[in-house]
Amino acid sequence: MDISQTDEQKMLQDSVTRLLERSYDFEARQKLLASGQPWSPDTWQSLAEMGILGLPISEESGGFGGSMADIVSIAEPFGAHLLIEPFVSSILLGGQCLAHGEGPAAEAQLARILTGEQTAAFAHEEGRGTADPALVSLAASESDGGFTLNGEKRMVLGGAQADVLVVSARARGAAPAKDGLSVFMVDPDQKGVRIKPFVTIDGRHAAHITFDGVRIPAARRIVAEGYDVLEQVISKAIIALCAEAVGAMGALLRLTGEYASTRKQFGTPIAAFQTISHRLADMKIAYVKARSNLLYTTALKDAGHASPLDVSVLKGQIGTLGRQIGEAAIQTHGGVGMTDEISIGHFHKRILAINALFGDSEYHFRAVGQSLASS
Amino acid sequence: MTSQTKAELDAFRDEVAAFLDTAPTDAIREAGRKTTSAFPPFEQAVAWQVILNEKGWAAPDWPEEYGGTGWSGAQRTIFEEEYRKRDLPPLLPNSLKMVGPLLIDLGTEEQKAKYLPRILSGEDYWTQGYSEPNSGSDLASLKCSAVADGEDYIINGSKIWTTFAHKSNRMFMLVRTSAEGKKQQGITFLLLDRTDFPGMDIRPIRGLDGNAEFCEVFFDNVRVPQSGRVGAENEGWSVAKHLLKHERNGSSNSPVLVRYLQRITESAREEMSPFGGRLSDDPVFQRDLGALHADVTTLAHFERLIMGGHEMANDPALPSVAKTMTTELTQRVSLMMTRIAGLEGLSLQLDALTVGSGVDPMGSELDLIAMPFYLNSRATTIYAGTNEIQRDLIARSLQVA
Ligand SMILES: Cc1cc2nc3c(=O)[nH]c(=O)nc-3n(C[C@H](O)[C@H](O)[C@H](O)COP(=O)(O)OP(=O)(O)OC[C@H]3O[C@@H](n4cnc5c(N)ncnc54)[C@H](O)[C@@H]3O)c2cc1C
Repeated sequence: MDISQTDEQKMLQDSVTRLLERSYDFEARQKLLASGQPWSPDTWQSLAEMGILGLPISEESGGFGGSMADIVSIAEPFGAHLLIEPFVSSILLGGQCLAHGEGPAAEAQLARILTGEQTAAFAHEEGRGTADPALVSLAASESDGGFTLNGEKRMVLGGAQADVLVVSARARGAAPAKDGLSVFMVDPDQKGVRIKPFVTIDGRHAAHITFDGVRIPAARRIVAEGYDVLEQVISKAIIALCAEAVGAMGALLRLTGEYASTRKQFGTPIAAFQTISHRLADMKIAYVKARSNLLYTTALKDAGHASPLDVSVLKGQIGTLGRQIGEAAIQTHGGVGMTDEISIGHFHKRILAINALFGDSEYHFRAVGQSLASS
Repeated sequence: MTSQTKAELDAFRDEVAAFLDTAPTDAIREAGRKTTSAFPPFEQAVAWQVILNEKGWAAPDWPEEYGGTGWSGAQRTIFEEEYRKRDLPPLLPNSLKMVGPLLIDLGTEEQKAKYLPRILSGEDYWTQGYSEPNSGSDLASLKCSAVADGEDYIINGSKIWTTFAHKSNRMFMLVRTSAEGKKQQGITFLLLDRTDFPGMDIRPIRGLDGNAEFCEVFFDNVRVPQSGRVGAENEGWSVAKHLLKHERNGSSNSPVLVRYLQRITESAREEMSPFGGRLSDDPVFQRDLGALHADVTTLAHFERLIMGGHEMANDPALPSVAKTMTTELTQRVSLMMTRIAGLEGLSLQLDALTVGSGVDPMGSELDLIAMPFYLNSRATTIYAGTNEIQRDLIARSLQVA
């Protein structure tokens, strides 16, 4: 199993980092957020031109067939710069589903996504964290050569901006069940689709979306039996999200170390107080644990050996270790750590959001324990 | 433990309950449900104080001669319990719990007559100007200066993290009046009758939860009368230390945590667990709820002992023990709340959080407050002396010479 970064990955990571250092420092990002734009079209276009939008998509689907390790190499700097562009929602989730989809409609749609001219959103979550696709219950009832969608999706990232909604729905049976799940392509302008847009604590645009008798022609069901596809797509997205979180943790560690070395109270840098220096050490230990988990799980994934259990271990650890690092960073900054004016809190909020997506650490730890106990 | 009979206390509870059921307006109740900080929504908290003051209940722990209620510890506990059950907003702390008690102890008769009635009535709100950009934990290093000029002082410098400075009409502050001797020696405690003196500039600062609760305050040759001084010139540090006792002693914090746990439990009964059934049936949730309940109950027991005058209350480390215990438990409860809210806690809903906006929350009311409460409560281990400093104080009380 290959666990070292290749030269190509290093180059990719460096070029993404250079792009973001040039055009996406914290001030620029805050200005972008304040402008009300959901993301920067310029940055999105630059990423498309660098081939990054096609990176996670297989070559036969028109992408570059990048490995998990390739994706992780770029997702870490995305996290370290708090990128709000829809890489996860439009590419890793929406785009990947389209790539697994059947039929010319999915193929044509994906092509428009990969050039960056359009975006997709993944309408999947239904409650306070639909960790397992088997829990999906939005109904797709089959009749007259098509389907009718009824139900609600929550926290659809980029949902109000998307040109196409990729919707997971239950065509047969009742949740929880792995069988009977399908994936549909839905036009957001279609009758019966109601979109309630909002902004998230980590600066993303998202929406709750209601489907009220939405008619879908059979040709727009892109995956008929979808559990495995959804599971694959989501586990890849989880690893990429974890890489973003690790990027954010690295930034928090660096910034907090710098702050503690320069902030003086009682005539000395606060890093000289043992309670502060030991907390910094704990942050470092947490970071090393998180990153080890990330990189090794990534290698397992590329070798085809990452089980759902491995992914749950990663997701659970990242959520817990990330929160620990974020809280420690805020506490070490004192009053200024409580403001929205510096990046510290924004990194923490990104980590909290990642923890809540696709099952929080509590969910994943229990899932791991349950699986161990019953095997 | 108390001189009152059970029947008397029951009658008292009925009286409190009847009042709290009818007196608060809808806006005040809404503010209570949407409180996500030690500092409740300002306007409604003031409105509520006006109502409580008319009843004579705005400052239960003040001495009776100054407007306190003269309640026993048991009565105060009953009042707190009934108060929290109804999710009413806490009163703003600075005036009633800080500068008021300080003036009662150390103010001149003139200062007491001038300020105390307006503190009780809610007409005045006092902001606390202690911290500076370079003087936080090491407060005594503060630099904002006041130079005597005739009957006045001329103030130059800045204060930061000044909670609700932008809503207040008065400020109590620490200024440097001398650079001689130890840093604690040249500090003076001042009362400012206005927060809009010429040369004063207030900049609100947005917090992690998206709300501007604290401010930076700039002083550029601000002229204030010397009659606002509490204590002697250069002896403000001992005045501040005296006030700190009131700030850290706080009151009882357990009732609000008990109530939060109830709200958490109610939500868990509604919510599906990803492992099947309701979240409230989930053994992991039950275990964690149990552990939190045990700690909240412990805090409640502790607070009752202190309020009942147990000798433990004389322990010099007690304020620091109480502060550390309470704030870290508050953070754990807030974390549990975000766990219940899950994904629903990620949407930024500043409109729905604003009292009187008429905007409905997208999920439940618990989902609405969970994340702002969690983020805001990160501050509890930072303000009023960071918990690192509190642990130093506790440790110091244990060391032998
Ligand atoms: C929400 C909020 C409201 C506030 N409201 C007010 C207000 O109304 N008025 C007001 O005057 N102030 C207010 N404050 C300021 C508060 O009192 C200070 O933030 C606090 O004293 C810490 O100071 P600092 O922020 O400068 O942090 P620093 O003192 O710089 O501390 C940074 C870190 O170093 C640690 N540290 C510092 N010294 C030591 C040491 N000797 N040993 C170990 N660790 C140490 C701290 O514990 C902290 O973790 C408020 C703060 C917050 C967050």
